[in-house]
Amino acid sequence: IVQKLSTLRGSIGYVELTIFPTVVNLNRIKLNSKQCRIYRVRVNDLEAPFLYNDPTLEVCHHESKQRNLNYFSSAYTAAVSAVDPDAGHGELVIKVPSELWKQGDDLKVLKVYIEFSLDQPKGGLHFVVPDVEGSMAERGAHVFGSCDEKMKIFSCHRFWFPCVDSYSELCTWKLEFTVDASMVAVSCGDLVETIYTHDMRKKTFHYVLPIPTAAPNISLAVGPFEILVDPYMHEVTHFCLPQLLPLLKHSMSFLHEIFEFYEEILTCRYPYSCFKTVFVDEAYVQVSSYASMSIFRADEWVLKGISGYIYGLYLKKTFGVNEYRHWIKEELDKIVEYELKMGGVLLHPTFSGGKEKDNPTPHLHFSIKHPHTLSWEYYKMFQCKAHLVMRLIENRISMEFMLQVFNKLLSLASTASSQKYQSHMWSQMLLSTHAFLKSISNVSGKDIGPLIKQWVDQSGVVKFFGSFAFNRKRNVLELEIRQDYTSSGTQKYVGPIKVTVQELDGSFNHMLQIEENSLKHDIPCHSKSRRNKKKKIPLMNGEEVDMDLSAMDADSPLLWIRIDPDMSILRKVEFEQADFMWQYQLRYERDVVAQEEAISALEKFPTPASRLALTDILEQEQCFYKVRMQACFCLAKIANAMVSTWQGPPAMKSLFTRMFCCKSCPNIVKTNNFINFQSYFLQKTMPVAMALLRDVQNLCPKDVLNFILDLIKYNDNRKNKFSDNYYRADLIKALTNSLTPAISINNEVRTVDNLNADVRLILEEITRFLNMEKLLPSFRNTITVSCLRAIRQLQKNGHIPSDPSLFKSYAQYGHFVDVRIAALEALVDYTRVERSSGELQWLLSMVQNDPVHYVRHKILGLLCKNPPFTKTTDSALCNEALVDQLWKFMNSGASHDWRLRCDAVNLYYMLFGLTRPSCLPLPELGLVLNLKEKKAVLNPTIKPELGVGAVMDTPFNTMEDEDIDMETVHDSQAFIHHHLNLLERPSTPGKHPHTHTHTHTHTHTLHSRPENSSYSVQCSFIYMASNHNNSHLNQALGNSGKEKLPFNRKKPAKPASGRGTHLPQLVGGEGD
Amino acid sequence: LRDNARGSAGKATSSPAENYLLARRRTLQVVVSALLTESGFESAEKAAVETLTEMLQSYITEIGRCAKAYCEHTARSVPTLSDTVVTLIEMGFNVDTLPIYAKRSQRMVITAPPVTNAPVTPKALSAGQKRTHPAHIPSHFPEFPDPHTYIKTPTFREPVSDYQVVREKAATQRRDVERALTRFIAKTGETQSLFKDDITTFPLIAARPSTIPYLSALLPSELELQALEETDSSEQDDQTDGENTAGNAITDDPGADKENSMLPPSGVVPSTKASEDNVIDNPYLRPVKKPKVRRKK
Repeated sequence: IVQKLSTLRGSIGYVELTIFPTVVNLNRIKLNSKQCRIYRVRVNDLEAPFLYNDPTLEVCHHESKQRNLNYFSSAYTAAVSAVDPDAGHGELVIKVPSELWKQGDDLKVLKVYIEFSLDQPKGGLHFVVPDVEGSMAERGAHVFGSCDEKMKIFSCHRFWFPCVDSYSELCTWKLEFTVDASMVAVSCGDLVETIYTHDMRKKTFHYVLPIPTAAPNISLAVGPFEILVDPYMHEVTHFCLPQLLPLLKHSMSFLHEIFEFYEEILTCRYPYSCFKTVFVDEAYVQVSSYASMSIFRADEWVLKGISGYIYGLYLKKTFGVNEYRHWIKEELDKIVEYELKMGGVLLHPTFSGGKEKDNPTPHLHFSIKHPHTLSWEYYKMFQCKAHLVMRLIENRISMEFMLQVFNKLLSLASTASSQKYQSHMWSQMLLSTHAFLKSISNVSGKDIGPLIKQWVDQSGVVKFFGSFAFNRKRNVLELEIRQDYTSSGTQKYVGPIKVTVQELDGSFNHMLQIEENSLKHDIPCHSKSRRNKKKKIPLMNGEEVDMDLSAMDADSPLLWIRIDPDMSILRKVEFEQADFMWQYQLRYERDVVAQEEAISALEKFPTPASRLALTDILEQEQCFYKVRMQACFCLAKIANAMVSTWQGPPAMKSLFTRMFCCKSCPNIVKTNNFINFQSYFLQKTMPVAMALLRDVQNLCPKDVLNFILDLIKYNDNRKNKFSDNYYRADLIKALTNSLTPAISINNEVRTVDNLNADVRLILEEITRFLNMEKLLPSFRNTITVSCLRAIRQLQKNGHIPSDPSLFKSYAQYGHFVDVRIAALEALVDYTRVERSSGELQWLLSMVQNDPVHYVRHKILGLLCKNPPFTKTTDSALCNEALVDQLWKFMNSGASHDWRLRCDAVNLYYMLFGLTRPSCLPLPELGLVLNLKEKKAVLNPTIKPELGVGAVMDTPFNTMEDEDIDMETVHDSQAFIHHHLNLLERPSTPGKHPHTHTHTHTHTHTLHSRPENSSYSVQCSFIYMASNHNNSHLNQALGNSGKEKLPFNRKKPAKPASGRGTHLPQLVGGEGD
Repeated sequence: LRDNARGSAGKATSSPAENYLLARRRTLQVVVSALLTESGFESAEKAAVETLTEMLQSYITEIGRCAKAYCEHTARSVPTLSDTVVTLIEMGFNVDTLPIYAKRSQRMVITAPPVTNAPVTPKALSAGQKRTHPAHIPSHFPEFPDPHTYIKTPTFREPVSDYQVVREKAATQRRDVERALTRFIAKTGETQSLFKDDITTFPLIAARPSTIPYLSALLPSELELQALEETDSSEQDDQTDGENTAGNAITDDPGADKENSMLPPSGVVPSTKASEDNVIDNPYLRPVKKPKVRRKK
């Protein structure tokens, strides 16, 4: 690739591909390309005709009034399939000149040369050019390939250069970038040399990447970067924007340790000879990696699973087992919650032939066939599940074997990659589920087939309900484990399950078999229920402790019971045991997961005993700090439930005073010293939890509020080594939590005069904090973020007038991104509460126009999380104009950004559901024709909800079957008639005599391109053509001299299958 | 005010010090008049005489002041002739011409001014007993000044060292400063308000987008850096309020060691590595090559 970049948001360049034919009859080459203007294509120095068609620019071509998400999703999936490089498709079709066919048949090398330019790209490359005085370098202008992990899998590199945009096509690379002399161009591979251009005003960076790498792993960043060579590893280079070098040094000071960890654990050297990290502004996602782990791929879940799994290992090593187990529980809870709510997450879908009943995930409103039709949330959950499944495999085969498998895969890959010019060997570098499983069985000798079948080939989690009874006569624990496998997102589990019983005489593990019909399991107890008070009680970890056993049931030796303590099933367990058992579990079980489960369970038992257990945990310094933090919130809930019988000062107040206040003056907090992180986190969390306390009038107790105000007043960070910005932000959060709805008489207008006295104090603090932030900004502006949330809460509770203008000003481009997101969150909330169409429009226009991709994505995400209305509620906001607006945005407006399009689809689903939005008038037609299956079906708009793909899920593979005539003017009418002949008459003729299937073709061939000067004319036509609507089309068709097609706008034409909808819109010229 | 002035004027005539000064002045006026006559003037305006008198007086005063300074430089207390000569030279006067001028023929002799008593400087108020000289100091040395001029006399109150009051004061002071400062900025610039009817009670400084917002959000302010340096030098652990170290620095926690080991290794590179830095071969540090000159065929 040779590319010249200009700071005027554009670039020109060319790509030269070397192709080794592996089949005869290679007369067409399909590549991926979007947004690029292709000037000319040459194959082995011969001009080649080419054809450019991007069906995803506009998903549904008909001016459809259907507005049905089912329809959209299937059309979109089809459009994406039509350019899927893994299926041999692409937007750019190059015809190999006939002179070279012979050469191709001899399997000789073909060199394809493509000249292209990129002007003001909307996606792929992101230009950040701050609008200030000075040269580009002084302004910190930079550009980078903006792509996230998910999109990388398939798609976004075609946005900035033509390529085979797939992980499965590996090749070696030579890259040249010419940029302004003040800039640095960072790309993949080894920087061979940097040379000035002849005018000495620009530099060309020459890169070589000798290791076969797929196009999605290639990226680029250009900017006036400061360069830091890693002091521990000189082959590692870090880059950041001007002035940020100190932060870079700090952030990267651990990198060498991480490197060592990975190389040690994989017993494999990092495959590339250099490593670069680049920090940019306005990034698409927080991290994206290129040309690093690219030797993995093929099956996404394996790749994501392994990287997540290794991350977990690193976490365990660096932060300890508690942190690791806490993380695993958190991730497990997350995936369980998502699947139970939204339906199953399928790691390894198999698609057999695109028949409607084969759709593996009918519960979703999008297709999981292609990564870029996936919802963002779903994809995150997919990653989460993948690494949890990897952990299950590890549990099964042991970590040692697991690492051996990784090592084996890596060494195979690196051997393959070192074999130059033997591209067939490079397939070893790709990782499929099959190869992974084979490697596991070779190394461990174990068959993990059932495990894979359960968690990888099948979606859903397991939902257990457990309860027990103790049979004193038989001294047996009768455990009952039921399952819910009928609700959405669940699956049935059959197999072993571990149950741990803590008895008086010790802790015992039992392996039970969950079978089809047996619910009850008898577990013999080891201990007699007699009580020997002197005796210490042995725990699972061998520790022996004294316990106060007075709370126990005198007849039972059971202290507590845990189901699947090792989290070796992806499950949710609802287990019933007595409150004292949970309390014992919280106090004496040493596993943090058990402690957290106990805390959650204790919320349902607001008793003095629970209070005591929680307080003891809070005070226990040996206890994991995250457990203690969770205990704070549980204690607040219990205190509220016990409000009428609560004795003593408000919960946690005396504890906080004892731990963090001065001994001589207990109302004053000590000056900050955050050297001990555990107590720092506790100090930060306790006020937030305390503020949730309520008295009998359901108000925050005066004591508590004054206490928090004092914490703010006496906060003194002058002698602290660490910044207190997060602590102060949490104190503001505490103020926010203390707010309760204002008592309002007759909806009076909120003014300063009728402000509640407490609220006045709070408001004064917030005003001061927010103003001080302008003079002394805190790190990441955390204080502003907290203040904005507080102000929204004040508005929502009716203390101050509800008004969006403040948030709008903070949401503008030019504020730090965290601040913008906080302001947008408030605006989204305002939109919902006030049902304001003005604000909704404001937000939607920002979605379309904001320069920062992340912010656009985030707005849609926030709207989905807190929707202004849903498909089940009525709202004045729900109207035809909004449907049209969103539809248009999904259909064509977001074509440059897969993620944004999926976000918009999500929002549409949230607002209107899968079927035709209820606010639209009923369609006139009851029947539509299905071209592909040659039958008439009920109009899907009137049909009840259907899974995606039920109407149509046929990829556009017909393109492959027929030769596209690129030489002559396309006879569109003939083509349409040809297709119409395929159609059998509908079975109910005469009922809708005007039913027509509308397909249109729009092909232009431009012969002979005389001068270079005509390029621009020709290219601008590409974009005109691709943005056309139907009237334009009709006109174009009319101009071709044939009769005009009757076009019935009311009629939702059959969701077109075949090539109708996605025919090429432009044929590039053939050179002389 | 006028009464006052007149009163003081009336008083002046009777004051002996005033009389002394007036007599001197009168003599100077006579001298000026004599010099004018000598130079051939027959009459002169009063204002002119007054001005010349003033100039003469300044000149003589300067000679005196300067001569005194010279003598004090050489650790004497009474000026000698040479002090005066040096002074005159310093003031740009040609001393050689002085004897001739003094012996000129047309010199007028002026009568000596009437003897008036030099005014007695009133004694300063003495406080306490003056110390007598110790044995090793000769008696001709000046006397000791009043004891209050050199003895430390504690006149201030005991400073407030009560911890609670100090904290209270510091907190209040900071809050007042912050409030005053933000209110000032708010009053002098653009503001936003949470209430439509009242824009002054809770004025918010308007949010202004910046061109490179990440700089201020990520980099610590100068103030913070300064504070950090101060903390570093004054060793966090030696906190003076003594209350602090007790509860906060819990170290018997088993996890504490782990956490501490996670602290950044003070950001400094080991010295052995640092010395190798000179020989780092990193492609981004290499100089940019000049373009090859294309040879014309």
